Amino acid sequence: MKIWTSEHIFNHPWETVTQAAWRKYPNPMTPSIIGTDVVERRVVNGVLHTHRLVQSKWYFPKWTHALIGTAKTCFASERSTVDPERKQMVLKTNNLTFCRNISVDEVLYYEPHPADASKTLLKQEATVTVFGVPLSHYMEDLLTSTISTNAGKGRQGLEWVIGLINTEVKGIARGTDELLHSTRRSIDEVTESARKSMDEISAQAAKAAKAMHIT
Amino acid sequence: MSSVGEDCNELKQQYDACFNSWFSERFLKGQTDDSVCAPIFRVYQDCVKRAIREKKIDLREIDPIYDTNSDHEQTNSSTGNQQQKGKS
Repeated sequence: MKIWTSEHIFNHPWETVTQAAWRKYPNPMTPSIIGTDVVERRVVNGVLHTHRLVQSKWYFPKWTHALIGTAKTCFASERSTVDPERKQMVLKTNNLTFCRNISVDEVLYYEPHPADASKTLLKQEATVTVFGVPLSHYMEDLLTSTISTNAGKGRQGLEWVIGLINTEVKGIARGTDELLHSTRRSIDEVTESARKSMDEISAQAAKAAKAMHIT
Repeated sequence: MSSVGEDCNELKQQYDACFNSWFSERFLKGQTDDSVCAPIFRVYQDCVKRAIREKKIDLREIDPIYDTNSDHEQTNSSTGNQQQKGKS
């Protein structure tokens, strides 16, 4: 058994990071994750509980194929809780169909940074267990380094999604501005044309009055 | 991002979009009522559960602990199990 842990600080508030966490895939940094499906979800005592099925493709060096099989679609089970009051998001992933002799369990904790609430602290833990195959500890080392690389990519991927969300928010703000601007413009136009027609009407009326006077 | 069932992709996208806006606009602001996405969730769930059955993915292969927070009361996890059994 091999345990790997890491910590990472996101320069974004917890709310932004948790929103992005749901939208983490797809991102260009982790093409190995090919699908997610919610299989159960509900709110219990104000806490959101979700069970997701995650499809991924893992590639290993060729020499390992005889031991653990070639890369194929793997299914992992991800159970998570989001507690908006305590500001805690916990995601636990167990691999479902990764071959019988390998078990990879991962836990992610997202919490506001204790010293700076405008930042988010991610704590990550992975446990790798390989049993029943030769060179088990080599396999565990290999998997651990794969996880380490993937974890880095996952964080970059999340940053990418956060960037996307922030652009969307700006886009919405810009959209609203544009809408306001064009509304104002069209009101101006309406007013203008109304004024024009009023002018026209009064001009016509003046003309008519003049004509009436003349006649 | 695709679904296990190719024919569920569109439903999944509709549901995810509903969930994402519910999560940021309501849930994070303390409104825990999730009925707004319930109708689309139900249709999507039917599709996904069917795909899981067809692909013979055994979700019970991993233990059915519902809560990821250890300090949550056991009653939650037991109702979770019952529901899961009831559905499958």
